[in-house]
Amino acid sequence: MSIPTLDIQDLKLGFKGYTGYAEVLHGISLSVAPGERVALVGESGSGKSVTARIVLGLLQELRTARISGSVRFEGKELDRLTKRERHALRGRAMSMIFQDPTSSLNPVFRIGEQFHDVLRRADAKITREAALERAASILAEVSVRDADRVLNAFPFQLSGGLNQRVMIAMALANEPALLIADEPGTALDVTVQAQTLQLMRKLVEEHHTAVLFISHNLGVVREFADRVYVIYKGRIVEQGPTRAVFEGPRHPYTRALMAAVPRLTGGGIPDIEENSPDFGAPIEIHPDEVQT
Amino acid sequence: MKRTLAILTANPLSLLGLVLVFVVVFSAVFADFIAPFPEHAGAVVDFANFNQPPQWPYIFGTDLVGRDLFTRVIYAYRISLILGIVVLAIAVPIGVSIGLVAGYLGGRTEYVLMRLTDVFLSVPPLVLAMSIMGVLKPTLANGMLAVTVMWWPWYTRLVYNITRGEKEEGYVLAAEVIGASRLHIIFREILPNCVPAIVTKMTLDMGFVILIASSLSFLGLGVQPPTPDLGSMVADGAKYLPDSWWLTIFPGLAILVAVFGFNLIGDALRDILGAEQ
Amino acid sequence: MTAPILELDNVSKTFGTGDDVVQAAQSISFGVTKGECLAIVGESGSGKSTVANMILGIYPPTSGEIHLNGSVLPSRRQLAHRRAIQLVQQNPLSSLNPKRSIGASLRLALDVHEIGAKNERADLVSALLEEVGLPADYAKRSPTALSGGQRQRVAIARALACQSQLVVLDEPTSALDVLVQARVLKLLNQLRETRNLTFVFITHDLSVVRNIASRIAVFERGRMIELGDTSTLFSNPAHPYTRRLISAVPVVTDEEAALRSALAAGLEDTN
Repeated sequence: MSIPTLDIQDLKLGFKGYTGYAEVLHGISLSVAPGERVALVGESGSGKSVTARIVLGLLQELRTARISGSVRFEGKELDRLTKRERHALRGRAMSMIFQDPTSSLNPVFRIGEQFHDVLRRADAKITREAALERAASILAEVSVRDADRVLNAFPFQLSGGLNQRVMIAMALANEPALLIADEPGTALDVTVQAQTLQLMRKLVEEHHTAVLFISHNLGVVREFADRVYVIYKGRIVEQGPTRAVFEGPRHPYTRALMAAVPRLTGGGIPDIEENSPDFGAPIEIHPDEVQT
Repeated sequence: MKRTLAILTANPLSLLGLVLVFVVVFSAVFADFIAPFPEHAGAVVDFANFNQPPQWPYIFGTDLVGRDLFTRVIYAYRISLILGIVVLAIAVPIGVSIGLVAGYLGGRTEYVLMRLTDVFLSVPPLVLAMSIMGVLKPTLANGMLAVTVMWWPWYTRLVYNITRGEKEEGYVLAAEVIGASRLHIIFREILPNCVPAIVTKMTLDMGFVILIASSLSFLGLGVQPPTPDLGSMVADGAKYLPDSWWLTIFPGLAILVAVFGFNLIGDALRDILGAEQ
Repeated sequence: MTAPILELDNVSKTFGTGDDVVQAAQSISFGVTKGECLAIVGESGSGKSTVANMILGIYPPTSGEIHLNGSVLPSRRQLAHRRAIQLVQQNPLSSLNPKRSIGASLRLALDVHEIGAKNERADLVSALLEEVGLPADYAKRSPTALSGGQRQRVAIARALACQSQLVVLDEPTSALDVLVQARVLKLLNQLRETRNLTFVFITHDLSVVRNIASRIAVFERGRMIELGDTSTLFSNPAHPYTRRLISAVPVVTDEEAALRSALAAGLEDTN
């Protein structure tokens, strides 16, 4: 068995505030194998985004945050790394795509410059020319045909869909082992979103990049992920291969969630309670598909 | 409110601010009971004890005509606070209303009101106040007028900027779609959302108004003798430095305490209320 | 066939002047029948919000007329016009004033339109809250103490307060979690029946529209490219763009995926 790219064990997170201590993650465990696409799906406030932030090492620096448990990246305990080492990891071995592409890119620099900065994180000596060449080739992979124009442009001069593709290209430019995608494309129109997801899927497959995909959108998850973790109020309630979870959800919360999604084939608005004591039931784990 | 107070007392810096401001306000309100020589607030001459260094019963020493400096500092606080309150009580409603109207209505109204504000903002505050005081008689009332005239535009700017943002919020659209009057939208919907920023600025400004008023009287344009005033006390004492140091140091420290105290609270409020500047 | 409650007659809207002209809506004509839920579907820049804003009187059309119950709506709306058409916005975080209580926000509509005697209005507020499934004592609370779904219920109650016949729903559930969305859509459906309301439902979400709308108007770049009954539009869309739109929707079941690929296949045929 190879070492998982990301392995989270019994992760707990709480915040100390003026009103006392509040725990938001109650011990979650998940793993992402090399080249695997794993989705963490949940509603707002479920703890999915803070999980991504911990993996990126962004919450550790917060004074009010209390974190326990283990987060291993390629076998290395993140907690043992210094701040500098964690920082070096981000943008190189680990990268991230955010929800809103246009606001995640720096508005005052040309795309080309931003690519250069990104590539410099992995190779400090890379020349501007080499960086632009590399940028053009990876942009071609996300079907950006006129790379020269794009590299010379400022983010606001490009459409949301194009910016999202630039973000994906940038996130993959340094061949990271892990890509964390937090609600990618949610800010985009459906047609653009569909294209972007297809591109992203093709690219991570070719580069054998592991992906932790954070989303609230079940449909998007179904189309993108190999494996799914369903998170509810800081606990994983169901996990398993995407097909198994979508075709036979077992946990009451997952069942409710699936039933609540309006169907393109009709059938009316389902009558489902927003809340139920059953949602606190223990985790349901589907067996992995037999690997050959 | 309770929460705000709890947070203020939890932070050492803002707690210090609360203590300092409490000292200032307490002395100003209860001056008649605290001051050892209440009559020294006026025109009293006691040449037997003139220009004495700090000693019992004159803990801050005495001035050139033998008045107790401690007494005069306490009464000067009273004047400073009254000045600050009156200035803000006039400047804030005017500045806030203009900012709200300009920000919400936009168009030509906004253009006229904001250019008018810019004119006032473009003149350095002290220069504007000095020229007003130069033309008018240097009395306490005119001092307040001068400071007020230079103070309202800052509230206009602040509230105008917030209003421009709030105008885009859904609740304003909702009120418009319901058919609510402009008056209602401006004063009942938008204004409450400006209050945290206004309160924060007012707290900070109490310190600054005291400072500006002191600067004016330091230049001889403010409160006139024999009324005790921190600025003129510093100015009068400065001629006798370093020998009669107490004449300058104690009124100077008194200004520092008041300004510093109000600023500490203002800064803490800004953090707590999440107010924009 | 009853006369339409709302009718757009060749309505256009242009923004800007000179070289900077944007045709936000071009020659839009459709009618909304009393009691129906007409969905306006499109992506960003399609003009669906422009049309909604013109119906609400936030700005007037550049040309064309909007009729309400047979009479032309003026560009400067009067109180009675305001009362007749109400709005539920997308973002319940911003649509309720954080500094005013729920009760005050609901009461505004009653005060402006002088609905009920002054001393009865508090009871009317309670009744409105109960009608949308919230406890009456929420009137005293601040919106910041409520969840997204609860706030959206308050926003719906506010639209009901005016007793309008026509409600424009501008992406009313897209900021909500899917379980909450189902409850809110259920509530809207139920209110449409009990109060005999007419909805104009603005959205980009075709899965929602499939299950709530009686008719659908598809918008693309300022034009209405298709208008039809919901079931017809989904089984046999006339315009290729409609097909593209439907086939891009992320789905959760194989049945839906089959529908999608059937439409996508049709798309290739037409190209």
